[in-house]
Amino acid sequence: MKHESNERTSFDKSKSFEPKIVAFLCNWCSYAGADLAGVSRFQYPANIRIIKVPCSGRINPLYIVKALYNGVDGVLVSGCHPGDCHYISGNYFARRKFALVKKFLEYVGIESERVQFSWVSAAEGVRFAQIIDKLTNEIRKLGPLTYFRKGSTCKGDQT
Amino acid sequence: MDDQNRIMSKNDVHKKAMVIGGGIAGVQAALDLADSGVEVFLVERAPSIGGRMAQLDKTFPTNDCSLCILSPKLVESANHPNINIITNAEIEKVEGFAPRFKVRVRKKPRYVDEEKCTGCGICMTKCPVKIPDAFNVGLCDTKCIRIPFPQAVPAVAIIDRVHCIYFKRGKCRTCERFCEPQAIDFDQKEEFVDIEVGSIIVAAGLTEFSAVSKDEYGYKIFPNVVTSMEFERILSASGPTQGHVLRPSDKKEPRKIAFIQCVGSRDSTTGNEYCSAICCMQAAKDAIIITEHLQNVEICVFGMDVRAHGKNFDKFIERAQTEHRTKFVRARVASVDVNPANDDLILHYDSDGHTRREDFELLILSVGLKASPFLRRLAALLDVRLDDLGFVHTTTFTPVATSRPGIFVCGSISGPKDIPESVIEASGAASSAGAVLKSFPRRAIVVDYPPEVPVDDGDRPRIGVFVCHCGINIAGCVDVAKVVEHAASQPYVVYSQEFMFACSQDSQKLIDDKIREMGINRVVVAACTPRTHEPLFQNTLRNSGLNPYLFEFANIREQCSWVHQKEPDKATEKAKELVEMSIRKAAYLESLFKTKLSVNKNVLVIGGGLAGMSAALDLAQQDFHVDIVEKNDHLGGNLLRLNYTLDGYETKTFREHLIDQVQTHPLIKVHRNAEIDSITGFIGNYRTVVRYTNGRNIEFNRADMHDERVEIDHGVVIIASGAKEYEPNEYLYGKNQNVISQRELEVRIAESDSSLQGIDSVIMIQCVGSRNDKNPYCSRVCCSTAIKNGIRLKQLNPFVHIYVLYRDVRTYGLKEMYYKKAREAGIIFIQYDEESEPVVEEFNSHLTVRVKEKIIGKILRFSPDFVVLSNGIVPSEDNKSLSQALKVPLGADGFFLEAHVKLRPVDFATDGVFVCGLAHYPKDISETIAQAKAAASRAITVLSREEIESEAKVAYIHENRCNGCGLCVDICAYKALEIDPQRKVVTLNSALCKGCGTCAASCRSCAIDIRGFRDEQVLAALDVLRWDRK
Amino acid sequence: MKRVESELITNVEELLEDKKIGFFMGYENGSLPLRTSPCFVKEKEDVQRLVWNCFCTNNLSVYLVSLIPELPAGTKVGILCKGCDSRSLVNLIVEKQLKREDVLIMGISCSGMINIDKLTGNLDGGRILEVEENEEEVILKLDTGEQRFSRKDSLYESCKNCTHPTPSVYDILIRVGEHAPKSVCPDPMIAKFRQKERLERWQIFERELSRCVRCYACRNACPNCYCKECFAEQTKPRWFGLSNELSDVLFYHLVRILHQAGRCVDCGACVRACPEKVDLRLFTRMLVDEVKERFDYEPGLSPNDSHLLGVFSTDDTQEFMVEVD
Repeated sequence: MKHESNERTSFDKSKSFEPKIVAFLCNWCSYAGADLAGVSRFQYPANIRIIKVPCSGRINPLYIVKALYNGVDGVLVSGCHPGDCHYISGNYFARRKFALVKKFLEYVGIESERVQFSWVSAAEGVRFAQIIDKLTNEIRKLGPLTYFRKGSTCKGDQT
Repeated sequence: MDDQNRIMSKNDVHKKAMVIGGGIAGVQAALDLADSGVEVFLVERAPSIGGRMAQLDKTFPTNDCSLCILSPKLVESANHPNINIITNAEIEKVEGFAPRFKVRVRKKPRYVDEEKCTGCGICMTKCPVKIPDAFNVGLCDTKCIRIPFPQAVPAVAIIDRVHCIYFKRGKCRTCERFCEPQAIDFDQKEEFVDIEVGSIIVAAGLTEFSAVSKDEYGYKIFPNVVTSMEFERILSASGPTQGHVLRPSDKKEPRKIAFIQCVGSRDSTTGNEYCSAICCMQAAKDAIIITEHLQNVEICVFGMDVRAHGKNFDKFIERAQTEHRTKFVRARVASVDVNPANDDLILHYDSDGHTRREDFELLILSVGLKASPFLRRLAALLDVRLDDLGFVHTTTFTPVATSRPGIFVCGSISGPKDIPESVIEASGAASSAGAVLKSFPRRAIVVDYPPEVPVDDGDRPRIGVFVCHCGINIAGCVDVAKVVEHAASQPYVVYSQEFMFACSQDSQKLIDDKIREMGINRVVVAACTPRTHEPLFQNTLRNSGLNPYLFEFANIREQCSWVHQKEPDKATEKAKELVEMSIRKAAYLESLFKTKLSVNKNVLVIGGGLAGMSAALDLAQQDFHVDIVEKNDHLGGNLLRLNYTLDGYETKTFREHLIDQVQTHPLIKVHRNAEIDSITGFIGNYRTVVRYTNGRNIEFNRADMHDERVEIDHGVVIIASGAKEYEPNEYLYGKNQNVISQRELEVRIAESDSSLQGIDSVIMIQCVGSRNDKNPYCSRVCCSTAIKNGIRLKQLNPFVHIYVLYRDVRTYGLKEMYYKKAREAGIIFIQYDEESEPVVEEFNSHLTVRVKEKIIGKILRFSPDFVVLSNGIVPSEDNKSLSQALKVPLGADGFFLEAHVKLRPVDFATDGVFVCGLAHYPKDISETIAQAKAAASRAITVLSREEIESEAKVAYIHENRCNGCGLCVDICAYKALEIDPQRKVVTLNSALCKGCGTCAASCRSCAIDIRGFRDEQVLAALDVLRWDRK
Repeated sequence: MKRVESELITNVEELLEDKKIGFFMGYENGSLPLRTSPCFVKEKEDVQRLVWNCFCTNNLSVYLVSLIPELPAGTKVGILCKGCDSRSLVNLIVEKQLKREDVLIMGISCSGMINIDKLTGNLDGGRILEVEENEEEVILKLDTGEQRFSRKDSLYESCKNCTHPTPSVYDILIRVGEHAPKSVCPDPMIAKFRQKERLERWQIFERELSRCVRCYACRNACPNCYCKECFAEQTKPRWFGLSNELSDVLFYHLVRILHQAGRCVDCGACVRACPEKVDLRLFTRMLVDEVKERFDYEPGLSPNDSHLLGVFSTDDTQEFMVEVD
């Protein structure tokens, strides 16, 4: 695609691409898991920006679409494991919604690596670090998300 | 904390209690008391609270992450204004009598100043001495100065004096050099504190049996033999192997794993003849988790009876067997050898009458629980009686009382029990302890904050940003000066500053000064994690006259400097962005207030059996008015049909006294022949219409007595509606008069009925109407009932032969002693398989029984005088309508489903409704009483407040956007949303809302938003990440 | 067709006469040939205007949400519903926009609607004088002669892959042949699209939607799009730009389609409404299939159903979640 390749060439090749990833973490498990990764000094790539939310159930699909539209290269939503939800069932409702959001975005052609969901408990510091590692590497390989973001696409631009 | 100094009590004399032991039982008891207006001193011997539960990986039968569910409770107790946590401390002396005890507490030195330590953990990284990590049961090392575990409360370091080089050789003091808050104090001495309290709860727990003394299993001899507690740590994601199941010798994944059950339980050779109650389920849980970690693993559990006597336990065991390839083998392992070539273990055991040997790659010993060596001294200090087994003595009718008035117990200290039972007893003990404190006023917490400066959405934000170095924790990696500079350049930021420690007293003062001086109306702090430090800074805001919600935290330590230690440039960039995101969000912050609801102080108790009466009495003892609605024309419920207890007490005296107390108590009103017609309202404000089914039969006259119906206003509801006995149609019951139920037998025994004279043999059949397809759960009490009646019958007629046909004998915990007694009395126990149930037939009015003995597989025949059926317990058919009326759920078995099986065993997601007794699940007398008391205690935490406060960060509705589709109403677990039928829009009861936001995220019209996490705020933070911004 | 029409007319006449309904919504012939338009019949004498043919494409349930509150309380509306229309209507009941007692559903088991473009695109400039249809064919009588079209080949795509031709819920049912529910899952078009490379999928998505002029005709035609204030037009916050820039257009469609999850009955109204002929079904139908496969859920089959996203099962699959190790 034209504008995509343009983007890639305009991009400074001297350093490897560093994606920007936003992670929405539930307050009770995943945010605590991220804290535990910190307390345990598990190192992971610095590409991630965490936004704390009360529950994975709080994540409106609009947030995910909005993040991509802003040109964020990847989105992670993480909550408590099934059964552990501090709000009893928020993560179960979220799981239904996320399944459809993820599958749909993938279907229309957004790389599935860019929108990820996970369960991370308060005891899973390692797992949190591993997930961030994995996501960052995958998205780094994909390169920047240019084809949906506001301002870099223009109607009728395709050939 | 600053909080501590500013809290002043109106009266010096107020309700005070001490809780000894900071495990889950102690923490729950402390929280219940504290929420009921009691000042609590929570004394813990270890350096942090949390107890055993903090060390567990998952909890059965839901496999919840143990720490995930425990940690919020620990943090809550640390932040509770009514709880004083005293760790690393022991009881030294107890003087006086209830309600005026004087307790001397010995605080052992930590060598770290608790006030100064910020829990940053730098000392741990610098200390040169490694010592075995007690939290990981010695499986890995920690440092000589350490925070016991990452989520420890309090998060304060402690020095192990024995191993410390400085204490040994007078040199080192490395930690001191690196401790920027200067918290290390090598001169710290032990301190004695005298505390006056009205009542005491002992929750000091148990300890594990030391597997070393069962040397035939090779523990500490062969490398691949571990105990169940060690294995919990191995399974834990935060444990020594980070959750990878690796065996110790070669760090390889084992493919064949054995569990040996009852190591140090049910075992006369070790002197511990009781059952430890939790190990069967723990092994099943571990097995399930293992198969989730490892492919193609084979698991074998060697044990005796599978004791799955709790709610959903049998289903869990079945899952382990069918879905998780776990074999339960009924065998006692005689000895364990090692294969020196590969460190595999060779188990020798007898099964099906054959001696077998089998190799395993890893062996887990399910070690039992036993009284802690400290208990004897503690009991002597408290002057409470211990039983023969070394546990604190309690009775069936007083499950949380000790021999000394004013001192109560909960948790496993009075005998092995699982987490929910411990939590139930904790609340129960809190109720009893609270009753002792009745004459003292509640502790009124008055904090003299200055009046709040009004700040609302329309005010132009004036943001102050404070960035913390956290010593070198943040500044060692992140260039703090750059972050401060970046913050200063952001819109609306009027001030920014860095601090060495933002949380220190002097920094707090400076923040306060700056807020006032600069007219700051929103504050951003960039430091550690909000999970521990948000309350502190919110308090600073309050002291400066700002609403505490005008605060935003940027976590640049746990989520930045600590995880990008080797990338200081990137970490600095990230910190700048995180702070910027917080600033953007802060611009949209608004003052938030908690909704207040008045609380009606009356209680409605549904059911007048043992549970309902016990709960009602506990409530009335603390001066709350109770209405009991009983559908029969008399009180007593199932208790009327119990004549004596397993431990030999007659129930009659107890029962009559209980009924009499309830009937004569001026604060209890009993509605007989009454049913619930309708219940409306919510916590604090219920209105129930009671309908009389058979005339009007109220204890006390009321003006409305002539109505068929009566309205009751109340603040909470306790469901104690009981359950009923299964009515069998199998085994010729109802067809042959000599086939009777255990209850019928019990009556005959109690009355020394002539039919029992001169008989030769009795067959008891267990699991009638339990553990089958229709009722796939264990009725919990029937094994004990059979043994109880068997022993009595033997006493009445020593010549009678008694045969008990059973599937598993589930005399869990201390009940095991009666199983032993029964066998000693000559009662024969014969196991049968679910697939081949006993057959009862009648020939010429004589009964014959055929059964296939499970182990040897032979058919045995009997011609008994009586066949006694141990009928299970089935839920009441009223449960369904009650669950609908109260909007609380039933489980698949038809019993009420509590909010959380482990930690909220009497609560529902819907606030203000509680459950106890058989309505919840089958249980015995003492468990019912404990749960009834627990329900009372939970109710009192609501009733003792003048107002209920909601969360501040709750939903709100944009009515102009709402289409009234009702999706949010379906989703809300707390029933906080309702459609207004007139206006066709959703309305929120913000007092019930917990702010999870699931409703908001599901609304297509964005007609719901969550304060503190508003769409606008999230978008503002996201905007910082726009690709074209840099 | 004549039988159906007369049955319809007789039914409506009776209903009006017995005051069982306040008025009736059906179809009448449009001003152009091969077109029908919604017909609101209140008086008995207007009943004869009602028609039934293979051009009765409109999903009439779209009118109900705004209409019913305008009517005098207690007025019952009779409505002619094809399979898809009835499911839209039932979904509106599930979503509390209607009450079951507000409507009298005259169901009609439907053989599918004809895409006029497939006929008119093949006319040789003749003027249509008359239209006849039978089970196999649609016959256009032109001033230049007669032209026959296979009914099957001329159906709308949504009708070709219709799963519930017979209304799920009705008070009166007019039968036109037997039309049992059938499973067309996944829709062949969707299955084919899934097979394409990611980049090609995105290019098609972009190409289709790049024609969108944001006239919102799709939204107006959709019975599910009844929001008082669409997210697309909200301020506080403004979710995305109002421009016709592609990213803004895509944002609108991505979210509008996601909002259809578990609600879309694949009636095809959005596609027919689109002036730029954007093939929205290529995307909406994906979620219909996904919901059916993943949750075994089809919206609009019973007024007692729960909303797909208002319930959950602890066993919902989570294979889409990220795993490490």
